[in-house]
Amino acid sequence: MHGDFHGLRVKERREEIKGAVTVVFEVPAHLAEVFAWRPGQHLTLRFTLKGEEVRRSYSISTSPFSGDPLQITVKRVEGGLLSNHINDRVRVGNAIDVMPPFGTFRLDPGERLRRTHYFFGAGSGITPLVSMLQSMLIAEPYSVAHLVYGNRSADTILFKARLEDLRARYPERLTVSHVLSRPSMWSSFSFWRRGLVDKAAVEAAIAENPPYAQDTQYYICGPGKMNQTVRDALMGLDVPASRLHMESYGGAIDVDDTIAGVAAEARIRLDGRTQTVTIPQGQTILQATRAAGLSPPFSCQSGVCGACRAKLVDGSVHMRARLALEDEEIADGAILTCQSIATTSALSVAFE
Amino acid sequence: MPPQRRMHILPVDAYVSQDWFDLEQERIFSRVWRYAGFAEDVSEPGQYVSVQAGLNNIFVVMGRDRRLRAFHNICRHRGTQLLRAVGKTQKAITCPYHDWTYDLEGRLISVPEEDSEFKGLDKSCLGLKPASIDLWRGMIFVHPEAEAGSIMDWFGEVEPHLGPHKVEELVEYPDSATAHEIKANWKIVVENYIDHYHLAHLHAGTLSMYDHARAEFGFVGPHFAFWEPLAPHYLENVEEKAPQPLILPMDQLGASVPMLFPGLGLGENESSWSTFHIVPLAPDLTRVEIRNRVKNAPARDFERQQSRSHRFWSKHITGKYGAGDAGSDADPMASGDFLAEDIYVCEQQQKSLQSPYFEIGASAERGESPVRQHQQIVLDYVEGRR
Repeated sequence: MHGDFHGLRVKERREEIKGAVTVVFEVPAHLAEVFAWRPGQHLTLRFTLKGEEVRRSYSISTSPFSGDPLQITVKRVEGGLLSNHINDRVRVGNAIDVMPPFGTFRLDPGERLRRTHYFFGAGSGITPLVSMLQSMLIAEPYSVAHLVYGNRSADTILFKARLEDLRARYPERLTVSHVLSRPSMWSSFSFWRRGLVDKAAVEAAIAENPPYAQDTQYYICGPGKMNQTVRDALMGLDVPASRLHMESYGGAIDVDDTIAGVAAEARIRLDGRTQTVTIPQGQTILQATRAAGLSPPFSCQSGVCGACRAKLVDGSVHMRARLALEDEEIADGAILTCQSIATTSALSVAFE
Repeated sequence: MPPQRRMHILPVDAYVSQDWFDLEQERIFSRVWRYAGFAEDVSEPGQYVSVQAGLNNIFVVMGRDRRLRAFHNICRHRGTQLLRAVGKTQKAITCPYHDWTYDLEGRLISVPEEDSEFKGLDKSCLGLKPASIDLWRGMIFVHPEAEAGSIMDWFGEVEPHLGPHKVEELVEYPDSATAHEIKANWKIVVENYIDHYHLAHLHAGTLSMYDHARAEFGFVGPHFAFWEPLAPHYLENVEEKAPQPLILPMDQLGASVPMLFPGLGLGENESSWSTFHIVPLAPDLTRVEIRNRVKNAPARDFERQQSRSHRFWSKHITGKYGAGDAGSDADPMASGDFLAEDIYVCEQQQKSLQSPYFEIGASAERGESPVRQHQQIVLDYVEGRR
């Protein structure tokens, strides 16, 4: 059942690059079905640190079609509670509480499907993408893939050798375009372009590798800002939203409507002024704030763009979806007001 | 009533009557993936074409994301078949009749005088009707249904039986496209294309560079696959003798000459790759459009290859009949051109169909088996079994 944690033993632990570790889990036979995953899905891990329960979701970095074991790859986030804990403390033989695979950011291969898959990733956003990529190369033989992958420099590229291996094995079905923001002068690594995975890079990538199979799909996974930039660039080229698939790395992407919330009084700080707003039960902070006549920033209203982001100073909320936020940002109190319903009767929220 | 005259499987009627022609248009040509040109015909954002696919006219346009879209070329206002892409960025499709305008996803986005003339109009219900589109082997294909499924459901099984050519890497030979109107039913043209028996006879002087005795052929689903090796006298020093630079590795030489249903012949050989698109115009009139791809190489490579292969070809290409037996200088049987030979026999066969004395005498067991099988496939479509 989704929602139940199971203790899984760590079978292997290896450093992928400096500051990013892969944790391979041992899945006992009786849990094999429960832990069967689809490319792009993530695992939620539960730890108790200093007496507090902490949960984080990490994308599975192996393909369910390659015969590789269940594994996650976790990159340190500066000040990040769990990413550093996993990098520093997790050892082979440890048992970790893991929730079965979940997530709608997926690529389900089809044997007869013929698609062009574009992947745009940066940093550890590659983890779900590499699983998707490898899965479609194995199990969707008529389709092709183009990966645009941004990093700071060659030595921070995750799965560099694995991507090279895939490119060598499927030379006619895969292109890999590395984008480096600060390439080392002493590195001989050949990359596609310097800079960020931004509008210009997206446009150049599509112009250089126009879709052959006309059923095109676009997968975006990187830090929130890159996601928004890539999405805007693609939509600027008239890519319909139905073909875009996006995940902020490490973030949960399911819409959770199970919590009804409570009515609340909220102190809303906006444009340097503070006003008290009444939030009826079930309304989001954004809805109530606008109903009170204020003009908070917002855009997509689906938790994707991050425009309505604010800081939760006091009280607690439930976010139905949180695509635009990373775990560590949420740990710092960031909320998406369009997705937040109150779970305590008094809130204090600041739009920044 | 006299017994119905038959070609083999199909009645003669299927080759001469308007009723049969109409049935085929509806039940074959409007129901399957149809060839719509080379990929490079619509290869830049804003480019568009419209293509006739059976009863459907399909509008094809490339968006700025370089993805092709296909819609039925019917304005949702009064059905005018006039769509075109407009504007500097080609972000819109418009019908010039009343300027109804659609975006590249086919959504109706503007109706002139909407507020005064069309109160309560629900534009969301009046989008262009989508069709399916895909690229395969360097060609555009369209299907009238919005959810036609994968084109590999249609071509996947025959693909391994086609030539090893990397079609996308070849380029169209400049100014080499030709079109021919043949006074014969489209099935006569197809049957001639897939008839193995005639190769060594009609084309004795024009296709002798292939070893017809070692040909391998057969149907894979509705599609016909055919392969034959080079004849020994041509294979020896083929690098010198090929009319154009070779496009296949030495260990994969040969000619694949498939006929993809319905009516798309390919000619995939050691130095060229061509399409032979058969378009029915009337029961007794068919257009064939031929386009050719060759190696992506400088013009001087072609000139050099042509001059060094000239001696071989001048010796080995002859008319079926010499000047003495030919009716006149214009006799296709003396032309030394296999296409002229084929067109001639197709038209001559069609002429006989009108005669009450026409009948099929016999059919070659192996060499003409594709002719019978193709007729069965056509019959299955028309009678709703496929």
